[in-house]
Amino acid sequence: MNFSYNWLQSFFKRKLPSPEKLADLLSRRFAEVEEIRKENKDFVLDIDIRPNRAGDCFSHLGTAREVAAILNFKLQIANGKLIEDKKLKAKNFIHVDVRRQHQQACSRYTVRVICDVKVGPSPKWIQERLKVCGLRTINNIVDIANYVMLETGQPLHAFDFFKIESENSKFEIRNSKQIQNSKFKIPNEPKKIIVRFAKKGEKIFTLDNEEYDLDNDVLVIADSKESLAIAGIKGGKKAEITEQTKIVVLESANFNPKVIRGGSRKIDLKTDASRRFEHEIDPNLTEIAINRAAGLIQEIARQQGGYPKVTHGLVDFYPKKVLPKKIKLDLNYVASLLGVEIPNSEIKNILKRLSFKYNENSSRCLEVLAPTFRLDVSIPEDLIEEIGRIYGYEKIPPKLPFSTLIPPKRNLEVFWEDVIKNILKEAGFTEVYNYSFISEKDISIYQLNQHKSAVLEVENPTSADYQYLRPSLIPGLLKNIAKNQRFLTEPRIRASSLRGEIKIFELGKTFKKFSIFNYQFSNKPEIKNISEKRMLSGVITGDAFYEAKGVIDLLLNKMGISNVWYNDYQPTPEESKLSIWHSSKRAEIKIGQEEIGFLGEVSPKTISDLKLKGKAVVFDVDFEKLQKLASEEHEYQPISPYPAAIRDIAILAPRNVKVEEVLNVIETAGGELIRDIDLFDIYEGEEIPEGKKNLAFHIIYQAEDHTLSSKEIDEIQNKTIKALEQETEWEVRR
Amino acid sequence: MEKIEEFFDITAPGKKPIIGNLHPLTLIKKKVVEIFQAMGFSVIEGPEIETEWYNFDALNIPKDHPARDMWDTFWLKPESSKLLLRTHTSPVQIRFMEKNQPPLRIIVPGSVFRHEATDTRHEFQLYQIEGLMVDKEISVAHLKAILAEFFKKFFGRNTDFRLDPDFFPFTKPSFNVSVTCIICGGKGCALCKKTGWLEMAGAGMVHPNIFKNSGLNPKEWRGWAFGFGLERLAMMKYKIDDIRLFRSGDLRFLNQF
Repeated sequence: MNFSYNWLQSFFKRKLPSPEKLADLLSRRFAEVEEIRKENKDFVLDIDIRPNRAGDCFSHLGTAREVAAILNFKLQIANGKLIEDKKLKAKNFIHVDVRRQHQQACSRYTVRVICDVKVGPSPKWIQERLKVCGLRTINNIVDIANYVMLETGQPLHAFDFFKIESENSKFEIRNSKQIQNSKFKIPNEPKKIIVRFAKKGEKIFTLDNEEYDLDNDVLVIADSKESLAIAGIKGGKKAEITEQTKIVVLESANFNPKVIRGGSRKIDLKTDASRRFEHEIDPNLTEIAINRAAGLIQEIARQQGGYPKVTHGLVDFYPKKVLPKKIKLDLNYVASLLGVEIPNSEIKNILKRLSFKYNENSSRCLEVLAPTFRLDVSIPEDLIEEIGRIYGYEKIPPKLPFSTLIPPKRNLEVFWEDVIKNILKEAGFTEVYNYSFISEKDISIYQLNQHKSAVLEVENPTSADYQYLRPSLIPGLLKNIAKNQRFLTEPRIRASSLRGEIKIFELGKTFKKFSIFNYQFSNKPEIKNISEKRMLSGVITGDAFYEAKGVIDLLLNKMGISNVWYNDYQPTPEESKLSIWHSSKRAEIKIGQEEIGFLGEVSPKTISDLKLKGKAVVFDVDFEKLQKLASEEHEYQPISPYPAAIRDIAILAPRNVKVEEVLNVIETAGGELIRDIDLFDIYEGEEIPEGKKNLAFHIIYQAEDHTLSSKEIDEIQNKTIKALEQETEWEVRR
Repeated sequence: MEKIEEFFDITAPGKKPIIGNLHPLTLIKKKVVEIFQAMGFSVIEGPEIETEWYNFDALNIPKDHPARDMWDTFWLKPESSKLLLRTHTSPVQIRFMEKNQPPLRIIVPGSVFRHEATDTRHEFQLYQIEGLMVDKEISVAHLKAILAEFFKKFFGRNTDFRLDPDFFPFTKPSFNVSVTCIICGGKGCALCKKTGWLEMAGAGMVHPNIFKNSGLNPKEWRGWAFGFGLERLAMMKYKIDDIRLFRSGDLRFLNQF
């Protein structure tokens, strides 16, 4: 909020520090000053008043009180004089009617009536202060109401008395022009101002000529016929102050913050008044503010040779007076919570400077009375904060806590997350963080719509691009690929990729919802039917199925998971994953009987939908399962002192023979002396008969207790070849 | 006989093995987590989809209170579910204290969401770290000592910090934590708007209502908490000028870390 430096100065006889110095002090002791701006002869301080202090400090008075407490200056409150006309009684003009059922919404309603006003432009000093604070000038009456709001924090509203409907229209003086140059008559009976909730469908024209549809939870100020203002939010056109206005009805009320906040949201209108009311203002302020405003009107809005007549008395509806709160403050607690011993005298001095009163119950206990304008203060901790900030947080010496020496609990998820990320980084992958949101279009490309009922939708997305929570990391990763393929010539991308290959991964959360029937899958009991699962997904561009498979093997190996195997994927018709995967180059990743993820090439259709260049292979692994299977256990294998020998075998087999089948035969035939089998070539094409392929293996032989002789090796090798040739269509090439 | 020197060009480029890169937020998080783990803090995580209770009410932020405006919120459909994307990591304070008896020391890293328009300094998905310490006798002085340790280890010896008054519904007193500007060392520059300080974190002493809402006796326990954004920390550390780069997936950016 904007504050005028000169205005703040006006509360003090003593000279304030320079705007910069004052700003620094306020930031350290009260609230952050975000900006200092020079404006003509004044400075604007933009102070970030926090919500707890808006009730008293959305005002120059409130902020000046803070300045007074910080600098230990004496605050001078401008008390304009107010002379009431004893012959005119306010209660003969206006009667305020707040029905019992609406009293929760309006804790106080104060009215003053001022006759014989001259509406015109306001004096320059008022206009200037309004301008510094960002308000427009309207006319002297409205400007004074706004001025007093900026000064005290109490929003005020002015109505034209003649425009308020009488209950009994006989007594109405309808045409205000009739009385322009003559004495008006005192009304025979007071006009009624009613505070009530709007009726459903009720409309109001506001001062800025907007029409608002009201509802029965919006509070209004009304006469006997219709509403005159949206209470605490905006004045209505009907009883607007104009140059013809002769009698001003000034309202200074206190409305329930929730009602004003609710109403303001309902009609989507925030104003300087609503902003103040929704933060809760001290009801005792209405009187101070209305007297201040009436005094200024009397001084300013006058005809030549006369003064406006302020009618006698306040019309004041205030059924339940708000009194200062009593709070017991244990001074030992002050010291132990702040961690510094502040002398009693200083604590008391700070409380006094902040307008808190206190009684000394004992030498270490105070009974503190919080002034009613400090509605935010109600518990001892509130007082300790007040004491601490004025004392100065910088004076609290840092002290390391004494604590039991308990080592931190190891978080295995975090540990394995780290391990995985490092392995992938070393395998050449760059880590990305994508948004947790995806668009309708993403869903349709991945045909997630078949499972759209499982996708969580955001009620208020920032844009259509981010309308749903991602059920998978893959859409984001493939978008990253498409984007980065445009930059392949960039040095930073070239330098870290081979022939334009891109390798990226993400480890992040995915979100799904379940129907009522299987909500037991959700592991968060209080958030029913929703799963929030961490996935590890990655992409390699190019014809990289085996490369990706190798990465998974490496990763699992490094995580101490050994029994991994890959299964042909058996799609179920409703499986939404299907469409993005290639029809054959895909596999389930399994550990024992558990599926932990999926690996496959992206289908040509998806590649073209996403405008990717060339092929791409994706892996998608359930991190939570992976993490549970992972183990740091690792056993050393003794190193044989006897040398290993290598022999090669190449076989010609039909195309549809799987490598695994061949390996099984070799392993069974070879027995335990075969230490490792290494497939080093798969070849189809020229020189190979149609429908066949050539598989070439290195076979590594080693014994633990002796050096293998050539004879021994040849025997096993021949046995292996025989076993292979048992298969009718397999042919070992020599 | 004289040997003929073989010509060998040492200026020809070396053959670099290709390795990848970790995301800057991962690097920063790791560093922060390490510092706190060394001081006995356990790493705890919590759900990103939260209930209104944990994200707001339990943290002393009642419905219809303007303090809620401090956190612009993404709500999930249907509205009646009252589910939202957590706006801070603070709900984990409640969740953890419900199930664990103090004394306790935890840090909570994780994604948070704010419903706002993005620009170079604003983002709707952020990465936060929350710290919480609860014990019998815990004071502002202790918070200051732990923060001092952290900043010194993270930024280096000469980093100073300050606590200024602030407001969070779940701490009392509440602080705004600033550190010496890492660019100018406190002399004043464009980054710190000539103040010499950079806002880093929010912190404060745990509000008694937070203990109550977690099922702990506020007369028995005291604590402090802090929270800060990793993006901001990373931006300072690496001098990154646009917060949107973190989630851009742009390898021209990511390959630099």
